[in-house]
Amino acid sequence: MPLITIDDQQIEIAAGSTVMDAARAAGIYIPHFCYHKKLSIAASCRMCLIEVEKAPKPLPACATPVTDGMVVRSYSAKAVEAQKGVMEFLLINHPLDCPICDQGGECQLQDIAVGYGGVASRYAEAKRVVKEKDLGPLVATDMTRCIHCSRCVRFGQEIAGIMELGMPGRGEHTEVMPFLEHHVSSELSGNVIDLCPVGALTSKPFRFSARSWEMARRKGISPHDGLGSNLALQVKDNRVMRVTPVDNEAINECWLADRDRFSYQALNSAERLTRPMVKDGGRWVEVDWPKAMAFAAGALKVIRDTHGASAIGFIASPHQTVEELYLFQKLARALGCENIDSRIDRVDFSGRRDGVEWLGMAVTDLNKLDRVLLVASTVRKEQPLIAQRLRQAVKKGAQVNVVHCADDDLLCSVANKLIARPSDLVNILAQVAKAVGADIDGLSDVVVSDAARAMAASLKSGEKKAVLLGAVAQQHPAASELHVLAQAIAKATGATLGFLVDSANAVGAGVVGCRPRQGGLNAAAMFVAPKKAYVILGAEPELDAADSAVAHQALAGAELVIALSPFKTAGADYAQVMLPVAAYAETAGSYVNMEGRLQSWCAAIPPQGEARTAWKVLRVLGNQFGLAGFDQDSAEQVLAEALPEGEATVRARLNNEIADVTVAHLNAAAGIERLGDTAVYQLDAYSRRAPALQVTVDGQVGHAAMACGALIARLGLSEDKPVKVRQSDAEVVFKLMRDDRLPDNVVRLAGGLAAAVQLGPRFGPISLEKM
Amino acid sequence: MISTIKRFFNTFLLIELLKGLAVTGRHLFARKITIQYPDERTPQSPRFRGLHAQRRYANGEERCIACKLCEAVCPAMAITIESAQRADGTRRTTRYDIDLTKCIFCGFCEEACPVDAIVETRIFEYHGERRGDLYYTKAMLLAVGDQYEAQIAADRAADAKYR
Amino acid sequence: MDYLQQLLGPAWLPIWTLAKIIVIVLPLLIAVAYLTYAERKIIGYMQIRIGPNRVGFFGYRLIGLGQPIADAVKLMTKEIVLPTGADKPLFLLAPVLAIGPALAAWAVVPFTEDWVLANIDASLLYIMAITSMGVYGVIVAGWASNSKYAFLGAMRSAAQIVSYEIAMGFALVGVLMAAQSLNMVDIVNAQKGGFWQWYWLPLFPLFLVYLISGVAEINRAPFDVAEGESEIVAGFHLDYSGMAFAVFFLAEYANMILVSALTSILFLGGWLSPLPFLPDGFFWIAAKMSFVLFLFLWFRATFPRYRYDQIMRLGWKVFIPVTLIWILVIGGFMQTPLGYLFH
Repeated sequence: MPLITIDDQQIEIAAGSTVMDAARAAGIYIPHFCYHKKLSIAASCRMCLIEVEKAPKPLPACATPVTDGMVVRSYSAKAVEAQKGVMEFLLINHPLDCPICDQGGECQLQDIAVGYGGVASRYAEAKRVVKEKDLGPLVATDMTRCIHCSRCVRFGQEIAGIMELGMPGRGEHTEVMPFLEHHVSSELSGNVIDLCPVGALTSKPFRFSARSWEMARRKGISPHDGLGSNLALQVKDNRVMRVTPVDNEAINECWLADRDRFSYQALNSAERLTRPMVKDGGRWVEVDWPKAMAFAAGALKVIRDTHGASAIGFIASPHQTVEELYLFQKLARALGCENIDSRIDRVDFSGRRDGVEWLGMAVTDLNKLDRVLLVASTVRKEQPLIAQRLRQAVKKGAQVNVVHCADDDLLCSVANKLIARPSDLVNILAQVAKAVGADIDGLSDVVVSDAARAMAASLKSGEKKAVLLGAVAQQHPAASELHVLAQAIAKATGATLGFLVDSANAVGAGVVGCRPRQGGLNAAAMFVAPKKAYVILGAEPELDAADSAVAHQALAGAELVIALSPFKTAGADYAQVMLPVAAYAETAGSYVNMEGRLQSWCAAIPPQGEARTAWKVLRVLGNQFGLAGFDQDSAEQVLAEALPEGEATVRARLNNEIADVTVAHLNAAAGIERLGDTAVYQLDAYSRRAPALQVTVDGQVGHAAMACGALIARLGLSEDKPVKVRQSDAEVVFKLMRDDRLPDNVVRLAGGLAAAVQLGPRFGPISLEKM
Repeated sequence: MISTIKRFFNTFLLIELLKGLAVTGRHLFARKITIQYPDERTPQSPRFRGLHAQRRYANGEERCIACKLCEAVCPAMAITIESAQRADGTRRTTRYDIDLTKCIFCGFCEEACPVDAIVETRIFEYHGERRGDLYYTKAMLLAVGDQYEAQIAADRAADAKYR
Repeated sequence: MDYLQQLLGPAWLPIWTLAKIIVIVLPLLIAVAYLTYAERKIIGYMQIRIGPNRVGFFGYRLIGLGQPIADAVKLMTKEIVLPTGADKPLFLLAPVLAIGPALAAWAVVPFTEDWVLANIDASLLYIMAITSMGVYGVIVAGWASNSKYAFLGAMRSAAQIVSYEIAMGFALVGVLMAAQSLNMVDIVNAQKGGFWQWYWLPLFPLFLVYLISGVAEINRAPFDVAEGESEIVAGFHLDYSGMAFAVFFLAEYANMILVSALTSILFLGGWLSPLPFLPDGFFWIAAKMSFVLFLFLWFRATFPRYRYDQIMRLGWKVFIPVTLIWILVIGGFMQTPLGYLFH
């Protein structure tokens, strides 16, 4: 290892490292703009010029590899002179508009200008002005401020996987711009806001609303996908003003998906429920807490006494915290009810499972995979940062094989892919299973295609392998069969079987027992055979459920629905009592992410209005029934009770194995069918209520019906026009959009849309009619 | 020894006390420096720090750009600002309040302001009769600015070369 | 006058006495009012200010002469706040206890040889007895207020008055020895013979002790630790407002005038003129009292407040020895042919 000297400090560092790496390891700060630890080296800003002994000119620290015996001075007169010179050049064209710049106070250029800038500029000529660029509803631009560090461009290429921003032009005419007037539509686009060292790229929803120094940074965990990204909730006057990432190499590195970053808007939404409400003669009346609690408990008691405890259904959202879910199932069981579930979007519960489904490995292991089989997952939209990790793996030579119902662009090179209609999915996965020689019954009739054989060959090679089941595979009507096939493939190829868990605390919900046990009904069954009463925690079953029509009907027909939600629109038309509970930033709690990591946080802000933290509401509900064991004083106490040994308890309950499933659905159905996967910004109650996310390209596409050009032509329809979508006797008008990445006879219409509630199941026959 | 005796007599004969009395006695006949306030006034500097005002540009546009530097620098935390993007895309305050009962009239807000929007005028004879009268909102501050703009501008011009 | 005496019969004496009392008390109260004005004005001047100068009469400012009247009206119309925890009867009794002795002492004070309400032989003793009663008002006020500051003030005041009473008493003993009478008219008459015959010269140390103890007795600066606004807010009268406060105020200033009157009588020859060829009369005692009062105000404008322990040290360890020694000196001298010096 080369030994180098930086500022009289000796440092031994791996060969191939740069002087910047060495300086960082030694704790020496060298000013820089274009260098970023996660991005490639550009050496375009020249701010990190340092003096190297025997080198005739100053060298950029970020691009100078270390050599043994190198002597570097980062703060010598020569280095500082060079840095000051660079600073003066950078400031020539940088506008002096810090007072109106959102970056003011957290700006690298501002900070470094204090150290290296001159008192006044010698530049008297006209400054450069750059035309504004429209980067969509999330990223605001002030391109005149750009110092051409190219971090945003490199981020697109290297991390987001799509080069949406480029830097055409030379010299003074260099400009960062999106290509061909396109918006930036990457689901990771918000990260350029953090990356931009100046105020050229800033957050649009946050624009001008607060200053960096006014806000307290409070730690939180993202309530969306199963990754559990670490957030800094930036709070002013008890209001979350914006969200930025907290570095955690094991989870989100320094990135954040747009969904995690901008969903805070829902916290300040006008739809927040701030006072308990009771339906009185069909009209909602605001009441105080004691009244609402007494009413809820009283009405629930009546149902239990007249119809028995099994006439009640307990439905929780898998985005609630461990503490809340634990008390929720405890309340249900204490009342004698086993109908508890949080897997609202699942249909197929067949087969024997011994534990809670999880990723099967650590999140960081994804980077090291050699071979991946992605089963029915648009991972880029489901877990944007997992996709980023797979992208890094691919860059290092991993082969990604995809079995899916849509040929979605994963923004990384895919080795082999098999695209089929949802009803054909079991068949093609069976082909792969047969091709790898999986030990499983019922595959004798399966005809293996060449593509499947190629995929099998890919999976047979390589060292570290994984078979990952995506959201569609889990929501699929034959999910258990897909599961058992994937398990067989994994076993045959020596791969790890993993689930790309799609909600923040689905693993936690399973671990604390938010699942029906002996004699209980699962979520789907609770709606198919309607219950007299439902207690709903945080969920919107009419949107989240696998069959929204059935769920809505069951809820509307129930005698009593008690909705615990932060939003008043959730359950307004079918509930009898709405109890306002705290949103994720307002409560202390914990999530268990897809790798079984337990992450706790404290409330960043107090609950809005009269809302109370959900675990307290559940505890008081328990008290109303006079039940024992509802006397916890803090979220920590509840957690200690739920998971006595913390993460160890979680790990003991994780298991992806399945048994007792026969592969039967090997024949594709005829006719057009629906692919009702969850749209990226319709995942949960929060993302649905973030206006900025809804107007993005992804958000807009999520509201349309999509079909391939061939199907549109065959049905005589025209794209970008409204079309009648008919499913199980219901008819709804949607905009029809063309997506040639879909297989024939498939209409992609996302689940979780308020407009599509009446349509029914996410998968199944569907028809399109001209208006 | 001599000094001890000297000190004893100084004390015993109340010499120090008499010296003190002589000082006040002399002042009894000194020229009085009282300014008879409403009838007479002290001269005011153009840098006088009195009641705050929000200024406008000549075209009627408010100067304040909601940079919040005044809020940040205010040692008494008397300033409260909320900002948002105005329809024309500019950065503007939606709320700009100064609690004059908290204000210590240090003038830091004025110095921090990059656009000379918040200024302290020469007005010091103002009062409130009810609780809250001295909580100046943006509209009130702008009204003060509009009324005294000529004086404010003249004072800034007079002080310009020292700033 | 004889006619009136006949008309009223046995009621004559009380009515005549009452009339005389009123003739003394009314000017006294007016003097108190204007003493506050003088105080503010003089201290103002010593601080290069001009003091109150706004309130006058009939639209004329008259250098603020209306100020004491305005203050009096203000105090009379203000609410008397009774603290919740106070002992109410005592709370209201305290100001009366303070003002009573302050006025009663004037019964024996001679303004000229004839102008005296009660020319009794033991008048000096009477003064000593009555002025000692004033401290009860202060102590009762401090106790009844049920506030720690008021109580602290009262305790300080009591300790201070008790301490200085002794030194003051001894100072008067010197005067008694010199005058050989307890009657104040006789004491003044004993000082006949001009400026140099007044007792201030032969009894100079006692004069100083008496003057300073007098300041301490009436709780004036620099001995005003009983009020001590910077430490105990306002001391014993912290919880008093309106007229109740005003009565304390009156008592303090009445005592001030009383001490100045006594100083004039005992050491400065009362109504005697300083030069033999000028006629004696009330003018002289008024001038001497004014001078002493001016001294009090001057002290207040000049000296910072004593620390409490310093006050005690001064009283017990300086004044009492000094007076004792001087009494011995006088006694000794009186046994020698030089004794005439002290007569």
